[in-house]
Amino acid sequence: MADIALQGITKKFGPNTALRGVDLDIKDAEFFVLLGQTGAGKTTTLRVIAGLERPDSGKVVIDGQDATRWNAAERDVALVLQQYSLYPRLTVRGNLEFPLKSRTHDLTATQIKERVERVAETLQITRLLDRKVERLSGGEMQRVSIGRAIVRQPRVFLMDEPLSALDANLRDVLRVELKKLHNDLGATFVFVTHDQVEAMSMGDKIGVLNKGRLVQVGTPDEIYSRPLNTFVARSVGTPPMNMIDGVLTGATAVLDAGGHALPIVRPRGADGQKVRFGIRPEDVVIAADAPASGRVFDVENHGVLKILTLDIGGTHIHATVPARMEVRIDDPIRFGWKPEKLLWFDPTTGRNLALV
Amino acid sequence: MAQIEMRNVQKFFGSNQVLKDLNLTIENGEFVVMLGQSGGGKTTALRAIAGLETVTDGKILIDGVEVQDRKAADRDIAFVFQSFSLYPHMTVRENIAFPLRAVRMDAAERDRAIKEVAETLQIAQHLDRKPSALSGGDMQRVAIGRALVRRPQALLMDEPLGVLDAKLREQMRAEIKRLHIARGSTSVYVTHDQIEAMSLADRIVILHDGVLQQVGAPDEVYLHPINLFVAKFVGSPVMNIADVRVDGFEVVLNGADTGFAFDAATLAGLRNSQGGIALGVRPEAVLLGHDKAPGYAEATTTNIEPLGSHDIVDVRLGDTVLRARTESGFVRGEGQRVWVSLDAPQAHFFDRKTELNLRGAA
Repeated sequence: MADIALQGITKKFGPNTALRGVDLDIKDAEFFVLLGQTGAGKTTTLRVIAGLERPDSGKVVIDGQDATRWNAAERDVALVLQQYSLYPRLTVRGNLEFPLKSRTHDLTATQIKERVERVAETLQITRLLDRKVERLSGGEMQRVSIGRAIVRQPRVFLMDEPLSALDANLRDVLRVELKKLHNDLGATFVFVTHDQVEAMSMGDKIGVLNKGRLVQVGTPDEIYSRPLNTFVARSVGTPPMNMIDGVLTGATAVLDAGGHALPIVRPRGADGQKVRFGIRPEDVVIAADAPASGRVFDVENHGVLKILTLDIGGTHIHATVPARMEVRIDDPIRFGWKPEKLLWFDPTTGRNLALV
Repeated sequence: MAQIEMRNVQKFFGSNQVLKDLNLTIENGEFVVMLGQSGGGKTTALRAIAGLETVTDGKILIDGVEVQDRKAADRDIAFVFQSFSLYPHMTVRENIAFPLRAVRMDAAERDRAIKEVAETLQIAQHLDRKPSALSGGDMQRVAIGRALVRRPQALLMDEPLGVLDAKLREQMRAEIKRLHIARGSTSVYVTHDQIEAMSLADRIVILHDGVLQQVGAPDEVYLHPINLFVAKFVGSPVMNIADVRVDGFEVVLNGADTGFAFDAATLAGLRNSQGGIALGVRPEAVLLGHDKAPGYAEATTTNIEPLGSHDIVDVRLGDTVLRARTESGFVRGEGQRVWVSLDAPQAHFFDRKTELNLRGAA
């Protein structure tokens, strides 16, 4: 159990800068998710916390102590990776015992046995204890990997895309289990992913990384509803938020594409100001009396709902509609938006105008 | 354009039977998606239609003519693979022109054909480049262009978008569908991605262990799955499956005190089941309320996934956890008391032994 703070962390690999002045506060017992694309710096951040990479500048603080120069073992963290990295020749029990047999632990055989069995029970792998690892399914292997991390009772769990190699249904199940495990252990979790569904569904807090910078930290609801800029806005939600350029004209938003005039609640800026309007697909309204007209470019059937791609004068936007709506490609359609859900961004800087 | 028919098709690899008595008719101009896990038989079925794989027994007919003994080249069918399999030393133009070598065609006509496909696929600007200079999406466009330039009777595609990233996949999916509509050619498309199948198909063919499970329009497969496999394979999050027993006029979950009322006809069907009954209900058909109401049973929330546009809420009822889809923020947290009901028309019952849907597939 531990607070973790990163202060002004910069890390370069040759000519490439992986992290640029990252400041981060992770509270004791928090489930903190780092969300970003490949190359955003999330794995490097995790490895800096783990002590596997030394930052070029900045400090790593664990429980108020400067840990920048501590090695990985001294930091008392456990790392779970996407690849399971288990010992294939050993049984599940052998793999779980392994971290406890090092000299630093000084445990009796009975103590080791007890700990291994308690962890196996927590992860529901008791019946697998005497099986060889190579005989396990992917989900079982990942449970054993997590078990090997837990058994040491570290202060912090660092997880690097641990669910990415699993199939979708298993991911759904393990997401819930990991969250429960976090509640039961009460430990600090730092979880790296590129999958926004994992970030939204698991994190107490999400940190969004882009090109080595931490763009925003917030609860899932804050990240979804009050994104700091267009990058964060489009990093969560499926399909991503629509970004539509337009001009504030009196009490309406006039879109560059097609010249459609759509309602706003109240103007945020002067008449004639250019705005990048952000509207989520579920807040696009399809109705016969809606103010603007477009054409259906594509229909995706997700069973529970349909996702339409609308062509509105050459620009494509997404709209989420109920599954029972009858709609076909190339149908003419009328659309609008929920003005109270509209976000306003600066078209040049991408900043959310409501938060400046 | 062609109608494709498979009659009692069997295929063995050694002693392993990968297609088990496959019967299927794909109508002229139809877009059929074969959906299943790896090893389900979908790629073998596709390759059998193309003539890239012989069949052990049974018939394959194209427009009523038996073709199972014909070579691939004599079936007038084009094939697009997941790996783009372009000739790296040839330009895009030469790659697209390649299939036309065997066809008698004058140069002007050939150029016209290439130009037309390239424009449809928006790769006209790349015609004189080598494939290595293209993005993954453009490479697959070239591969599709090469398949279409001959104007084949049917276009077969084996996970053509499998190696592309999510965003490009979505875009290419729309393009493939629009291309199909524009050309009206019979298309058969193999994927393991159920959203791809639901979005592209006129009809979905679901294969598992070499056996055809169900053929139907996307909504049919989603709303009326014929068995447990189909029910669990289509839809995300996966359909809730829970063991139940019939008690009077109600269906009761294991360990729960109260049940859910169903009509007499449904219950009568369940009583005849021999192998035990599983309730199948999708998250959107699990209804939550904050207040006690008739037909609602008491439950406790155990997990919440806030996804922004909606939440997935897990509720515990007796020994069973059901996942429910709610509007955002409907339930505040874990460990809360809520009231649960089922949308009866959207509930399914499966025989645990036969795995068949006891309410019938429509």
